[in-house]
Amino acid sequence: MEFLRYKSDVYGQRVLEGAAWDLLWVFLAAAVGFIVFHAIYTHRKMKRQNDEPEG
Amino acid sequence: MNNVPPGSGEQVLRHHLADRLYHWLMAICMLVLLFTGFLPVLGINFGWVDPHWIAGVVLTVLVLFHMIRAVSVLTLSNIWIRWQEFSTAFSATKAEALGGPRVKRKIGKYSVSQKAFHHAAALVVLVAIVTGLVMMIGIDGPFWERNPFIISESSRGIIYVLHGFAGLISITMIIVHIYFAVRPEKLYMTRSMIRGWISRTEYEQNHDPGLWK
Repeated sequence: MEFLRYKSDVYGQRVLEGAAWDLLWVFLAAAVGFIVFHAIYTHRKMKRQNDEPEG
Repeated sequence: MNNVPPGSGEQVLRHHLADRLYHWLMAICMLVLLFTGFLPVLGINFGWVDPHWIAGVVLTVLVLFHMIRAVSVLTLSNIWIRWQEFSTAFSATKAEALGGPRVKRKIGKYSVSQKAFHHAAALVVLVAIVTGLVMMIGIDGPFWERNPFIISESSRGIIYVLHGFAGLISITMIIVHIYFAVRPEKLYMTRSMIRGWISRTEYEQNHDPGLWK
């Protein structure tokens, strides 16, 4: 996967153009991944807390 | 405490109207910027340049307003992460993650993670604004003509990379921000960003008056 985009300038040299737009899906996936991880972690934490005997 | 509005003893003011307006106007700007910035990348082509830079200029004005307000009216210590606060939160989170008992911790006006999110968002938005303002030199506007020769090709590439990554990171941050805003235990905070206040009970259960200046 490329992180950057390049283009050729007027002299034919390779120059930096910007961030690679394929990364859009990586950043979307990172958000979804974090949410799934946090939701599972919090659910398990709450369940464990509810299962603990009071005292 | 000076956060209780007169005549409403059961409500504790968390966000002034000016700060709520700032938050929601910033949210609108960010969404306009992301949709106008990334829909063309996804193949949906339209005249995106004008709404994009206009939203960027509005966001710049809003951020300047917020920065001035932050140092003149708001209490900066409410958003600053103290070392003691960080180490306590880190130790408790680590202990919980390793199976230890959950310890209910009272926070100041904001939790450590909320403050960290704020600082990360501030950095990303400032990078997007500064690079965006430089990029505006390359387009025609109502009060200026484009001049693409002010900055070199290589410098322009770096500016575009920084602007692009600021936009990409914003996508992740906004989605995660919305996720936390709709979580049941955080809904009272989201309500305070709409109506301004939290209840006295919510304040006493979740917040430490010693940390909320």
